[in-house]
Amino acid sequence: MLALLIKRLLLAAITIAIVVGIVFIAVEALPGDTCTAFLGRAAQGVRLETCQEEFGLNRPALVRFSEWVFAAVQGDLGVSMARDTEVSELVGIRLRNTLLLGLSACLVGIPLAIMLGVIAGLWRDRPLDIGLSTFAIMIMTIPEFVFGTFLILVFSIWLGWLPGIVITRPDAPIQDFLKDIILPVIALAGIMTAHILRMVRTSVIDVMSSEYVKMATLKGVPYWTMVRRHVLPNSLIPTINLIALTIAWMLGGVVVLEVVFNYPGIGRLIVDAIGDRDLPLVQAIALVLAIIYVGLNLAADILTLLLNPKLRTMKFQ
Amino acid sequence: MKTSSTLITASLLLIVALGLTATNVNAETILRFGHPVGSGGKESMDPIHTNRFFHAILPVYNKLVRIDSNGLPEPSLAESWASSDNLTKWTFNLRQGVKFHDGSDFDAEDVVDLFSRINDPKYESPLASALALVDSVEALDAHTVVFNLASGHADFPLLLVDYRVRITPSGHGDTIGTTGIGTGPFKLETLDSVGTTALVRNDQYWEGASKLDRIEIIGIPDSQARVQAMLGGQIDWLLSVSAQQAPLFTNSPTFVTQTFPSGDWKGISFSREYEKFKDSRVRKALRIVVDRVAMIALVVGEKGGTVSCDTPVAPHDQYRLNMNCPPDIEGAKRLLAEAGYPEGIDVEVSTSEMDQHWVNIAEVYQQQAAAAGIRVKVNMEPPDGYWNEVWMQHPAFLSLWSSRPADQILNEAFRSGASWNESRFASDEFDSKLDMARQASTYEERARLYGEAQQILFDEGGTFIPYHLNVTRVLAKNVGGFGEVDDLHLRWHLIYKE
Repeated sequence: MLALLIKRLLLAAITIAIVVGIVFIAVEALPGDTCTAFLGRAAQGVRLETCQEEFGLNRPALVRFSEWVFAAVQGDLGVSMARDTEVSELVGIRLRNTLLLGLSACLVGIPLAIMLGVIAGLWRDRPLDIGLSTFAIMIMTIPEFVFGTFLILVFSIWLGWLPGIVITRPDAPIQDFLKDIILPVIALAGIMTAHILRMVRTSVIDVMSSEYVKMATLKGVPYWTMVRRHVLPNSLIPTINLIALTIAWMLGGVVVLEVVFNYPGIGRLIVDAIGDRDLPLVQAIALVLAIIYVGLNLAADILTLLLNPKLRTMKFQ
Repeated sequence: MKTSSTLITASLLLIVALGLTATNVNAETILRFGHPVGSGGKESMDPIHTNRFFHAILPVYNKLVRIDSNGLPEPSLAESWASSDNLTKWTFNLRQGVKFHDGSDFDAEDVVDLFSRINDPKYESPLASALALVDSVEALDAHTVVFNLASGHADFPLLLVDYRVRITPSGHGDTIGTTGIGTGPFKLETLDSVGTTALVRNDQYWEGASKLDRIEIIGIPDSQARVQAMLGGQIDWLLSVSAQQAPLFTNSPTFVTQTFPSGDWKGISFSREYEKFKDSRVRKALRIVVDRVAMIALVVGEKGGTVSCDTPVAPHDQYRLNMNCPPDIEGAKRLLAEAGYPEGIDVEVSTSEMDQHWVNIAEVYQQQAAAAGIRVKVNMEPPDGYWNEVWMQHPAFLSLWSSRPADQILNEAFRSGASWNESRFASDEFDSKLDMARQASTYEERARLYGEAQQILFDEGGTFIPYHLNVTRVLAKNVGGFGEVDDLHLRWHLIYKE
């Protein structure tokens, strides 16, 4: 068990290192740099040279990368080129905002998804199930920005109930965001719910048709007791990984939704940072996102192990 | 099942409740608008800085001279001016009793200080080259300044109309970027270009205090998000909308739209350094073949542009030469034949998605030019590094320019040897017209000379300028006081909200 954990942690670290390397190469391969992005038409001659010198862009890419890695390992993410601010400060506040959005969506979406999924599974092929499943597929096929824009149209423009886009300062206290995040949370939670709901439904249907459930039914275990004792625990374990994957996917979806809602989170920051060729900032955000992604998957695997006695006692070399 | 319906009802109620709190009435009158955060959070309140925070600077500072609706200079912080006979020495009498937001008096020292900052390499101000003509500035007394020019310029006051020449208090050069102390109708309260920048009314404003209590400028980088904020009533003013977005607002009773010509233009430059474009007949043929009205309709929508016959001078500029240039396909064919291309000519045009209209302009050009046997190959270039690797590097390329007064744009983009002369146009006759115009003492004479210079560009130039862009601004119904002028020339203290 411990050996497995260490092995998984090592793998995770390697994955993160590879991601960071690829991001560096990708940004480096794009034509232009911070200076050309910032100076625009004036990026010529002396002005360009002084600018590149100031940011150390005239040194070989490998030297800059190794310096960045060395500093990052020590917890120093450097200074944003285009924004003159400590990267950690910029990323920190934006990460808080994105987490606020993501966690709120999970808080709403996951319980709702499990509940609806179980309902759909238990009442398989009944009107309720057909209704829920159709709705889920519909939401899954709509791209998140369309769904987000649709919500703005209905709740902000037609009904005028909620702010359409976020105009709160990035570093405002959390309570100031509560009204702003309702629409993005609905959009995120809606899509998340649709994915998880379908998985839970399938899983419940599988368990319901399994031998031990038939056995329990024949033994005379009351229906709801059986659902609570046998069906729920067994059908929810396979969904843990899916939930983790969905949350990880959400980090990607959140980039798009943050732009749609003008939400001051990490997604909008990385879009702007790539536009400005702000390499330290892009690198730092990629690092943070990779850690979250890998961390979530790791957590889901470990949780599955802990919950499933069969896997727990398995021998690993 | 019962629980889920309760949950849904509860959450719906919550949404309604929150929605009601959202519509509470503000006691203050606040004008809100979004800005695109062009400098990514590095916006500076220093008007002469490269990263100037354009829309926050406009209501906070005043210029010495501003422009009236006829394109003529009008007094602002300078009350009157006069020049020496040879037009090299200009004396400006400054307005008395004007105070900066920090309570200090505006005087001649502030003007001298501003110009020494403009020329100080430390600030790397783009204004240094635009105002290179100014040799020295001296304060005669507290309310009189003298500008000594390197050579005479009859329209020198028009140079001071530049949107960046705004008066800052002397001795504040190093802090003005964050303090924003000016003499304008609004004072800076909070500077946060990514979030919300707040300006409050200056009750002591010399032209009279505004009816607005505050202006809030909100950072909204995405243009679609700005449109949504406008539709949802979160902002009162949308700086500009594209031709495609405009119908969202023009047919609505809750919005007012204003369309006015800007001096901004886009076009294709054919560089004279390239063998094929050395012959002025070829350059002219490449330009006169185009149906500009049809191009406007296809690229920016019928009302999206004002036809230009390859003149960079804005439609509302007093020196604009009004020409007529319908498509002349036979003329283009004839010119090409005379220049040695009777079978037509092959041309490569480099464009990019960097600008939303560039690709369309290139494609429409390709279609229209074919009629005269001009076979255009459109090269798509990546937006990144366009200004370094394509602009002024390729034989023919798309370009764009923001509004500038006639004298400035003609000199900056077309005078022989100018560093941003993108078509490498070189004509002694053209240059001398510009020199003579600066020396000419009457408006009529200057208008004739600038007009002749524009005619030369149409006859021989290498830059195809199909139109000047029109800007469509959207306002909430209860907001007013905006003249039909671009943002640069707004009278901010007259803006109101009911």
